[in-house]
Amino acid sequence: MAPVFHRGQLAIPVTCILMLGCIFPLALLAVFSVFEVDLDAFTLVPAFSGQNWVQMFTNPVFAFLIGKAVVSGAGTAVLAAIIGYPIAVSMTRLPVLWKGVGSIVLLTPLYTGEIVRIYAWRVVLGSEGLINATLKWLGAISEPLKFLLFSPFTTHLVLLYNNLPFMVLAIWISAELIDKRLIEAARDLGARPIDAFFKIILPLTTPGLAVGVFTVFALAAGDMMTPSLLGGTSGATPMAMIDNLFGTAFDWPLASALSLSLLVVLLVFATGFVGVLLRFDGARAVFRRGAR
Amino acid sequence: MVNTPDRAPDVSGPGLLLSARGLTKTYSGQRVVDGIDLDIPERAFTTFLGPSGCGKTTILRMIAGFETPNAGSLVLDGRSLSGVPPERRPVNTVFQSYALFPHLTVFGNVAFSLTLRRQSNVDVAARVRRALDAVHMAEFGDRYPHQLSGGQQQRVAVARAIIAEPHLLLLDEPLSALDKKMRGHLQIELKDLQRRLGIAFVYVTHDQEEAFALSDIVVVMNKGRIVQKAAPLTIYARPATAFVADFIGAATLIPGDIIDGGAAGPASIETAIGIVQCPAVEGLSKGDKAMLAIRPEHVRTGAHGLKATIRHVVFKGDRYLVEAEVNDVILRFMSDSPLTSGETVGLVVDQDRAFITRID
Repeated sequence: MAPVFHRGQLAIPVTCILMLGCIFPLALLAVFSVFEVDLDAFTLVPAFSGQNWVQMFTNPVFAFLIGKAVVSGAGTAVLAAIIGYPIAVSMTRLPVLWKGVGSIVLLTPLYTGEIVRIYAWRVVLGSEGLINATLKWLGAISEPLKFLLFSPFTTHLVLLYNNLPFMVLAIWISAELIDKRLIEAARDLGARPIDAFFKIILPLTTPGLAVGVFTVFALAAGDMMTPSLLGGTSGATPMAMIDNLFGTAFDWPLASALSLSLLVVLLVFATGFVGVLLRFDGARAVFRRGAR
Repeated sequence: MVNTPDRAPDVSGPGLLLSARGLTKTYSGQRVVDGIDLDIPERAFTTFLGPSGCGKTTILRMIAGFETPNAGSLVLDGRSLSGVPPERRPVNTVFQSYALFPHLTVFGNVAFSLTLRRQSNVDVAARVRRALDAVHMAEFGDRYPHQLSGGQQQRVAVARAIIAEPHLLLLDEPLSALDKKMRGHLQIELKDLQRRLGIAFVYVTHDQEEAFALSDIVVVMNKGRIVQKAAPLTIYARPATAFVADFIGAATLIPGDIIDGGAAGPASIETAIGIVQCPAVEGLSKGDKAMLAIRPEHVRTGAHGLKATIRHVVFKGDRYLVEAEVNDVILRFMSDSPLTSGETVGLVVDQDRAFITRID
């Protein structure tokens, strides 16, 4: 007979991982954030001062960078939702074989690695790139379009491109789980296809939409590589700054304070978002019993 | 298809509601519904009865508009249904698994069809209340489907389907997910509701007791075709074919030859258990092969009957179901006393009630 575990015992591995991988590093960050740096001796001093936190709140650059990350993430998530939703819902209508093909096509870009994709976009969007060259050849422009590369446009185009699959997958699965008889029932009761969409499909896909928005928000708001390699002067992020402070500047205390601030802000937005989501009947129904 | 005389006079009066001609549905080359001709009268309770896969649900789905026939026509209220989408048919459906909207309350579910038509809120509330009253669910308006029992969900599904006052209500095995007691309750309620509303119900089931309990007309189907269409009593007492006799009431079917008798009066059939005289069947005459059908209630023990050996005895609660062998034929009958296996008894067949049917 297989050994029987108590429910509490089963929680031990995950508790250990959580403690070691999450709680402990966070506690370390919290401790570092009240230290100071002695630049002469090149050491960390356990000063237990609020100096870094005062900086965090008074120097507008931190608030600006964190705000920029939040807006960037939220914008990408909203755009991905608008573009991804129709793709996801139309995938549910495909025959089974084409659903498989569809999911492979959707995921293939993710296998190529972020750096490869970013440089590929440089090739496409650069001054001598594919788009500018084509437009020039067609005679549509005489000078290359500068905004295509190293601009907020580039950053968000690529953030969108990189993260769209996660949005589509999340919505697709949630749309796929809707009992088709609910749509039939709606039609039977007088709903045109458009009514059935707004009254049945949309409410019952809110969980998928939420998971998608949540994932894309987190990935896009936390992406350092794409903005710094494609955003040009607009590419500054709190993550790049943390990287700088920890590495080059040897200001671990300030980096710790910035890391914690970023985390808290993102958590607040995420929590608020889940709170809003749970107010929808559709989401509540699905979380309670599934979409049937 | 065989049309036996109808013994339900209350449905012969009203006019024609729905008529199907040559209705056919094919799935990957297989004719699931095979050229059905059928007329459904107004205000009647019509039941499609048959084993699973006989095409009964497909017919219902074609009437509702979820499936497009490959051939044939459906005419409702004198208008062709061809090309009419489900939302524009004056027909509503009670689904097998109810298909209640999980994100809407009972009120929201029942009001669904009215809210699509932009009615005033006062009007909607009053009509929802009336519909819920009709199914005894008035106090459950605020609940969500998952907070209801199966029987309650079924009632809500009915209320949701009748609120728009359809000309025809389709019910696809609506009671099959419920326990036997609840099924009995709801059968009575459904029949009562149908009489009060005066709406034609078309019901699909594989349960013959349910079909008999509810219907004015029973349409027995097999392999995509109608085998017999008649009142329940006729279907039970005079099955048109051996399939119907076997499917309904579990008759023992014994092959034989008609040796005497014409279209009317008694006919004699010679079988392994001897020559039995039964009422004649139209179209069968001397020399034809046929089946003698004997139900458990047609057999009793008697001193001067057929010599039979008891094979199995099954306790059924009120009585015992006994299987006895006569010349390699197994006859079943109900007994008040627990007979023992191997015992020899005399069996008498009630020749007025046993019947002859065609071989399918």
